[in-house]
Amino acid sequence: MRNLFAFIYRFRAFLVFLLLEALCVFLIVRYNTYQGAAFFNSANRYVGQVLEFQSGITDYFRLTNINQSLASENAALRQELMQYRQAALIDSAAELDTTYVPASDTTAAPPYNLMAGHVINNSVRRLNNYLTIARGTADGVQPGMGVISPEGVVGRVKTVSEHYSTVTSLLHSQMLVSAKIKKDNTFGTIKWQGGDYRTAMLEYIPLHVKPEKGDTIVTSGFNTVFPEGITVGTISSVEQEPDKSFYTIAVKLSVDFAQLSYVYVVENTRKEERDTLELDAGILPDEQ
Amino acid sequence: MNNSFGLTHIVQFFLFVALQVLLMGNLALYSTGFCFIYVAFLLYLPLNFSRIWLLILGFLIGFTVDVFYDTMGIHAAASVLLAFLRPHVLNLLTPRDGYDNSDTVNIHVMGSGWFLSYAFTLILFHHLAVFFLETLTLQTLWYTLAKTVLSTLFTGIVVVIIQLLFFSPKRERIDYR
Repeated sequence: MRNLFAFIYRFRAFLVFLLLEALCVFLIVRYNTYQGAAFFNSANRYVGQVLEFQSGITDYFRLTNINQSLASENAALRQELMQYRQAALIDSAAELDTTYVPASDTTAAPPYNLMAGHVINNSVRRLNNYLTIARGTADGVQPGMGVISPEGVVGRVKTVSEHYSTVTSLLHSQMLVSAKIKKDNTFGTIKWQGGDYRTAMLEYIPLHVKPEKGDTIVTSGFNTVFPEGITVGTISSVEQEPDKSFYTIAVKLSVDFAQLSYVYVVENTRKEERDTLELDAGILPDEQ
Repeated sequence: MNNSFGLTHIVQFFLFVALQVLLMGNLALYSTGFCFIYVAFLLYLPLNFSRIWLLILGFLIGFTVDVFYDTMGIHAAASVLLAFLRPHVLNLLTPRDGYDNSDTVNIHVMGSGWFLSYAFTLILFHHLAVFFLETLTLQTLWYTLAKTVLSTLFTGIVVVIIQLLFFSPKRERIDYR
């Protein structure tokens, strides 16, 4: 017994080293899973406060850009609103609404809600990038919700605390987004390969379609995360490799991830119903 | 100042974490060169610092950085590796007549050759661990290696700059009274 203690004492540094490394490996395996919930991350309250303080300072240096993007979005929204107003003026049937359409008709309710969130932490140059936004459960954010910006798809909420949430960016090695080519509705999967943060790959586009440079890629709406038709980017190159049955398509992302300041969390009010239905029917959600 | 863990080191801990999170977090040269300056905290600890405490401090600072970086465990694992290797590297680099009591990790006291080989060896191991734990594959081997080498240079140069700026060239005086 004494020898055992002597042995342990002699190699104590090495044993502590092994113990700590085992703990680290456990942490890596436990918390670095793509959808794992975690307490120790940048959604933590204290960490969030530090990051918010930091972004409070750095945002001053980007005020011009942020204002410009918000103003241009305002303009686009106002234009859209005007079109609706004019359509409503022309549409004389609107006044008869309650006559023909029951007031309790739920199909009239929009299934998606948007919540604006301030990006307080962001990275684009790592292999697995995350954002932190200053919106949490107190504002109705839940894990798994989609995140978009005025320019297009940003990512998906990973973990949420009361006032902050971390978002798996589209620039994450394990993030997949179901997308389609807008002009002919061929659907594939958007995947980021690392490296350049402006370019991602569109996979699984079969060889019989003819994608061209400049075609717009939008989300497919085949899942409950993103609404249909949110811009992802435009095709920047199409290659056909001899030994592959799919095209190799590079997509220039419409979102400049390095310049993100405000994003919208998308809440699908019927997500649960649809997910349960699909799960009950035996369809496993294989991608986002 | 003696070789125990004092207020200076606690302040250094927070300073280096703040430097890492607030400044270096947004910095990357050509998307390949990263600066993990927080390792300087472990490098600058006293020479005969307890191995156990070194490991625990390595875990603590790596874990703190992990929390901010959302890379749970990766920096902690790499820092613990660095903390484990540090006494061995120090042994290898022992000067001919051993370490003096007054020796500290200081580029002016120990000489630039000693300091550069000490700092760059440990930083290289640390960065190798970080980048390979991050990818966990060998598919992008060359890219990962390029990242490691460039980042080692980057971090190493910053570590040396901090030495030249903030560490006094005078050998610390020992009070024999």
